[in-house]
Formats: sequence, C-alpha cells, structure tokens
Amino acid sequence: MRIQEDPGGGLLKLVLKLLASFFVALILGVGSALLLLGSGGLGGTIAIGPWESSDVIGSSEADPYTRARVAIAGLLALNRNETIYFTAAKDDEGAPLRTECTYKIIGSDPPARWWSITAYAADHYLIPNPHDRYSYGGNTVAREEDNSFVISIGRGARDGNWIPTGENDGSFTLTLRLYNPSEAAARDPSGIVLPRIAREACSQ
Amino acid sequence: MKTWPMWIAGTVVLAAVFHILTVFALPYGIMNRAMAGIAAQAGGVNKALYPEPATAATRGIVRPSPDLLYTACVYDVAARPLRVTSPVPDTYWSLSMFAANTDNFFVVNDRQAPTGRIEIVLANDETTTAGETPVVVAPSSRGIILFRSLIASDEARPAIDALRRQSNCEPL
Repeated sequence: MRIQEDPGGGLLKLVLKLLASFFVALILGVGSALLLLGSGGLGGTIAIGPWESSDVIGSSEADPYTRARVAIAGLLALNRNETIYFTAAKDDEGAPLRTECTYKIIGSDPPARWWSITAYAADHYLIPNPHDRYSYGGNTVAREEDNSFVISIGRGARDGNWIPTGENDGSFTLTLRLYNPSEAAARDPSGIVLPRIAREACSQ
Repeated sequence: MKTWPMWIAGTVVLAAVFHILTVFALPYGIMNRAMAGIAAQAGGVNKALYPEPATAATRGIVRPSPDLLYTACVYDVAARPLRVTSPVPDTYWSLSMFAANTDNFFVVNDRQAPTGRIEIVLANDETTTAGETPVVVAPSSRGIILFRSLIASDEARPAIDALRRQSNCEPL
C-alpha cells in the first residue's frame, strides 16, 4: 500500500530536485558567461605592451565570445580595415590603471590617417570632469619638438596635454583608435609601435 | 542505486547549455536595447537621429568617441528597402551598417566616396534593384546604420555638424 501513499511526496521531491538543478545550472551557466565576458574589455589576440586588440572586431568571422565582448565593451565598432581599436587596462608594468594614480602616455603618431586616445571609466562611459576633456587626437594633441607627444592622465591639473580622471576612485581603461590604418598596419596590427603608459605616482 | 552523480552531471550539462545560450544571445539583447534607444529618440525606425557630441552624461552606446559626431538610424527593411543618403565631408567620415547580431556588414569612408555625396539602398533580398543606386543586402531585417564625422577642429565643427544633419534614411 506504500506505493499508493508515496507518489505525491516522491513527485514533489523530484520537482524540487529538478528546480534546484535548474537554478543552480542557470546561475552557474549565465554567471560564468558574464564573468568571462565582462573581464578585461575586448580581450584580444593581439597584444602590444599594455595595449590589446582583436583581429576580428566587427567581422562576421568573430567567434561568439569576441562578438559578445564587443557587444558589451565596444558596440558598433568598425572592422579593422576601417579602424583598429586598442584597449589598455594596465600600465607598462602590468598594474591596473587607477583613477587615483597619474600616468604619462608617451609616443609618436601611429600609422593611421587619424588617431585618438580616450579614457573611459569602469562602466565604459566617459569620465565626468569639469573640463569636459576626455581624449586627444592627432589633430588636437600638443607635440614636442621631435613631433612626439606626452599626455598626462590623472586628477591634478597639468600643463599641456592632460586627461582628468575625475573624482571617483576606481579602475579605468584607455582606447586608442586608428582610423584608416596604413595597409601594413591593417594587415599585421601586431607590428604597430604604440605609446607607452608610464605610471608616475598614486595618491594613497 | 545512487542517483546523485546523475543529478550533478545533468546540472553541469544544463549549466553549459545556459552558458552557451548567454554568449549567443547577449549580442542580440544588447543590440536590441541600443536599437530601442535610438528609435525612441528618433521617433521610430528608418529615421535619423542627430545626437550632440558625447560627454560623460551620454549613456546610450558604450565607449563613444568625443571627437566624432555620430548620426544613427535604426533600419527595418522587412517591409520596404531603405534609401540612405548623405553628403560626404572632406575630413574623416564613414557610413557603417550593423546587423542584429552586432556584425559590421558594410562600411564606406569619405575617401571611397570621392564625389562628395553618397546614396545607397539597403534591402532585405538580392532581387531588389534601384536603378543606378548601389544596393546593399542586409543580413538581418533590423539593425543600425551609423555615420561618423570627425570634428577636425573647433572652427570646423559648425560646418561638419550642418553637413551631417543632411544625412538621412527613408523607406523607398
């Protein structure tokens, strides 16, 4: 007679087990995907010093992970013949970029028709600052005598090229855009010489 | 018979399925949200939006370039093809098209459009013809058209802004 008493309890147990399995799987599956995709900007197959890029941004050849990363951190990005995007989340020494530190970006014009360097907060939007200054480009940067450039990044006001990092402590990233890169650069982006990101000091 | 190894195996397999679904669905979801945002501001699909240059207050699309003027248009060519027209300035400019999965399926820049004006028809299928006008076939019936105009200098900004406000997309 037990068989007739049990089915309700057994069924309930099974349903609970199924539900538990479903939710654990949901959290693990979605969580691991978001964790993997959310970390480290666009990720990339190309690394030049602290700068990273991917060969296949915007391309239909992009693998599902790259496509999802681009959707999160670079929606509406162009393919690499039109624009090469490099992102840096670290300095030359490999330490994460922090808004409470100061940096100097030192370099000369990369091989492109036009380039720009822009700072973004951890939420991928521009960093609020009273000067509304977020970037420098090949057309706006002040140059040294040898045509190279130095851009200061940090909180305290600086003479010359300066991108303020705002009031909030936190990580930030830089994007270097190369519009209409030279043919050689588009063919082999890993050979491009890019600016250094030297950390100067941190206010802690 | 112990059933817990089966339960663990089943949960892991299901977790893998959710992981893959998330990775595949995310671009569509993010693109959908972007399309909804642009269409809401432009007053519908197949209408151009002319936002001001990005500042820290701009919260529409991630990682905007503050050095560019963006002009955007959500296309929907399910019912009718779309005519995309724009004057082309003599500084950096591009017209790009993105499918519902975020793929950049078409791009042309100012140097590839030397006549100072561009006209393209975007259609759902390869059988569409539009006389002399080049036809681009969209891989998805909905997506985003984006014009980028470089603000070459503060002095050039008003002229470039006036020019990009003539960029347009309208159903054939």
